Order: sequence, then C-alpha cells, then structure tokens
Amino acid sequence: MALSRRLLPVLLRRGGCLSAFPSAARALSTAAVPADAEEEEAVTIKGVRISGRPLYMDMQATTPVDPRVLDAMLPFYLSRYGNPHSRTHLYGWESDAAVEEARARVAALVGADSREIFFTSGATECNNIAVKGVMRFYRDRRRHVITTQTEHKCVLDSCRYLQQEGFEVTYLPVRPDGLVDVAQLADAIRPDTGLVSVMAVNNEIGVVQPLEEIGRICREKGVPFHTDAAQALGKIPIDVNQMGIGLMSLSAHKIYGPKGVGALYLRRRPRIRVEPQMSGGGQERGIRSGTVPTPLVVGFGAACEIAAKEMDYDYRRATTLQQRLLDGIRGQVDDIVINGSMEHRYPGNLNLSFAYVEGESLLMGLKEVAVSSGSACTSASLEPSYVLRALGVEEDMAHTSIRFGIGRFTTEEEVDRAIELTVHQVKKLRDMSPLYEMAKAGIDLKSIQWAQH
Amino acid sequence: MAAVAPTRAEVLSLFRSLLRTARQFSDYNIREYTRRRAADAFRENRALSDAPAAAAAFVDGKKQLEVAKRQAVVYSLYAPKAKNIMEMKLQ
Repeated sequence: MALSRRLLPVLLRRGGCLSAFPSAARALSTAAVPADAEEEEAVTIKGVRISGRPLYMDMQATTPVDPRVLDAMLPFYLSRYGNPHSRTHLYGWESDAAVEEARARVAALVGADSREIFFTSGATECNNIAVKGVMRFYRDRRRHVITTQTEHKCVLDSCRYLQQEGFEVTYLPVRPDGLVDVAQLADAIRPDTGLVSVMAVNNEIGVVQPLEEIGRICREKGVPFHTDAAQALGKIPIDVNQMGIGLMSLSAHKIYGPKGVGALYLRRRPRIRVEPQMSGGGQERGIRSGTVPTPLVVGFGAACEIAAKEMDYDYRRATTLQQRLLDGIRGQVDDIVINGSMEHRYPGNLNLSFAYVEGESLLMGLKEVAVSSGSACTSASLEPSYVLRALGVEEDMAHTSIRFGIGRFTTEEEVDRAIELTVHQVKKLRDMSPLYEMAKAGIDLKSIQWAQH
Repeated sequence: MAAVAPTRAEVLSLFRSLLRTARQFSDYNIREYTRRRAADAFRENRALSDAPAAAAAFVDGKKQLEVAKRQAVVYSLYAPKAKNIMEMKLQ
C-alpha cells in the first residue's frame, strides 16, 4: 500500500519512542554505560524481582481505562466538580446533565430506557440489590430463588444470606461445558419462585449462557430473570427486551471504564420492585441513596458509548488473538484441557489446564505475564476454583488452570510472548515432574498405590 | 451547512497526525492501539463514497485526534519508571 510505504521511512527515521531503541541512543554516546542501567528499571515487590512491568493478560479481573474515557472524566475532577443533586447553581445543573447523558448511553448499549438504569458502586452492589432486594420486597408471596453453581461469589453469598433468613435456594448444576441445562431450570421453577439468577458471561471460564432461552422460560412462568452481565456488557450484544431480562448488573471497570461504578437495570414494564439496600436521601429514585459520583458515571457512559461503536471490531480481534494463543500453545505442548465450552464462549477469556504441572509453581514462573488462576475474588485462599469444580474438573487439573484475558489493547506480540513464556515454563516444570515421566511411559496415574513410609 | 467531503490531502494529513500522536504515548498498549485503530479505521472508511458520511467520519477523526493529543500529554506526565516488558530488549 503506497501510503504505508511512504510513511515507513518517516517512522524509522524518527526512531519512534527512543526507549524502544536504547542501543541506537547508546551508540551515539561516548559516556561509559552505567553498570546498573538495566537494574534501575527492575521492579521489586513482595520479594519478587521483575525486569519491567508485566504484559497484562488479566482482562477479566479488570481492564485499563481507555484514554477516551479518561478524557471524558477529567473535566469533572478539575472544574465541573458539582454535586448532581444540587438544584440551586450551575455546578449542580451541569453535573446532573452529565449524569443523565451518561445514563442514556448506558441504557442505549443494552436496549433499555434511561429510567430503568440506576447507578451503583459496581456489579457486586447490583447483585446484592437484585437478589436480596427483590426477594425481600416480595417476601410474603415468593420464598424461592434459583441460581447456578458457577455464579459470582456475591450472588452465591447473597443467596446464602437469604437462606439464613428462611428463603429456599436451588443451586443448579452445570454441564461439563459450563452451560446450564435449560430444561432443568424450567423444572426447578415453583409457584413461589421469586427470582432466577444466571450470569451472562462467566468471569472464570468465559462461557456464555443461553440468555434468550432462559428469558423466554422466565417470562412464560412469570418469574423475574436477573443476569450478572458484568463480563458481557459491551462485549456481546445485549437486548433486555429480546432476552426477557428483568434485572441486570453492570460494571464499568470490565469495559475500560473507571473502577467504583456500576449500574443496575430494573425493568419498568412489567415493573419489578426492589427493597433498597442503602438508606438515605432517596437518590436514584429511592433505589440507591448516596451522591452519584459524577466523574465515575461520566466515565461509565463514555465507556459504553465507545463499546457500542467498537464491539464488532473488538470481538473480531479477540477471536483472532484467542485462536493465535490457543494454536501457539497447543502446537508446542500437549495434554492441555480447555475449561468450558468453545462454541458458547466469549473469545477474550481462555481458561486452560496443563496436566502434570503444579499450578502455583506455574504462576510463580509466569511473573512476566499478568494472568490469573481461579478468580481474583477467591485467590486469597488456596482452595481450587468452585467454578471448575462445578464443571467436574479434577482437583489437580483445577489447581493447574490459567486464565488468559485478551482485550481491546492486547497486541499480537503480547500474545506471542505469552505463548513463549507459558510454553517455556510448562516444559521446564514437566521436565522436572516424575508424574509426567510416568504418564509418558504409559502408566495410569490413577492406578498407582502410593506407599506410606 | 452542507457537509463537504474532505480532500485526499486533508485525510492524509489527519492520518499522519494521528500516527504521530500515537508515537507520543508513553504507554505501550495505548500507543500500539492508537496506531492500529487509526490505520484500520482509515482503511475501512476509504470505501465511503457519499459526501456526508465521509465528512462525518472526518469530523470524528479530528475529534479523536484532539482527544489523543491531550491524553498523550496526560499519560506522559504519569508514566511509570519501569518500562513494559514488551518494550525491553529480549533477554
């Protein structure tokens, strides 16, 4: 292409970012190279020394803020710092206008009306309001909740809390590919079921649940359908009317927005009511009291607007990069299992288990790639992920799972480097592993009688 | 005011400005993204035949350039001392 050919020499001549060509800069200098020039840039934290900032592949934990989002937010930290609930002056009016504009953008991304969007502090708070708030409001007639075993901890914990208050909860199992059995869900619905909660895209394994089918069943049976769409928003198309969604939890920091803000979608027709969990001045139509954080909300709105425009482009790119990652790793190491369905998956989330490799040591060796094993919420304890356990994955394979997150800003070079580092580490650990030797020799590890000393 | 399609020279100038601004980002991922997204967007919009659509895309492009210029400054003000692994020579 003539255009790029003409530009290429310009780019090379300028040298791009000088730090990318340190040898070129040094070649022109007669000063002695300081002995620890490289050492200065190393990062030492928690006793671990890394040569630079790791490449980030943990998009399900959080995403970097898009510069366009930051650009939209900054004025509200600098000069337009009013409280949107102040009715008497310009600062309040302009802040309120910005909040309402952001609300419209969030609503547009999911096919909802502005009046159905309520800003909260994040998806965890939304899940709490949805589960506890709905059940408590209808506590006289509805005593039963249906959810799945692979839901986010905040949903499961809210359900456990409700059980202590005397409600009954059915935790539906999932199939080995991570999908919920819709027929089983339909059977589980009782006359006193007050809520069905199934997350749209799972944060650990990336599996996409059949929302339209579940929504249809819930609509037929007259049960509100709640979905935790924190990982799905802006990544797969969501339409609350097509999918029969009654309540939905949304999070900003999963779609390149700021941390600390989310939104709850609450259907108006037919009206779904909740008991508010935050008491106070009645902001957000009484659903969620507390000053609405204008800069964060504006950032959320900007992130949604960008996501609406970029969804196709980002999706295609994530698909390509995921295939590259998978082919790259599978081409060099065998005995790898993909956790979760490949057909019903959001391509930016790849959860792999490496047989005959110990999970903690794999993670320790991968300090130049920021990935995670299990979800950030459960990684404080050493227990294997409950999501993988629900899939029927064996303990040893669950411990050795790695979740690769691919996002808008992931480059091909990063994927290649991640492949290189992962393969290197896996091979190194397998070389040291007597279990791997035995497996390669054809011994069935399950049949071994381990002797007591 | 009727939307006038931009001239070839204007489009090329905008594209070059975007690429130049992309280079100024201190963050590896944002730098690469800006470059790549600009190239892909211009390539895609090359086929735009009707004047209003082309004019709208051009105006949008100019807005994005302004955002990119501001953010390149902000990111450089807060650039971390340690470089990204991807920017360092292979060990």
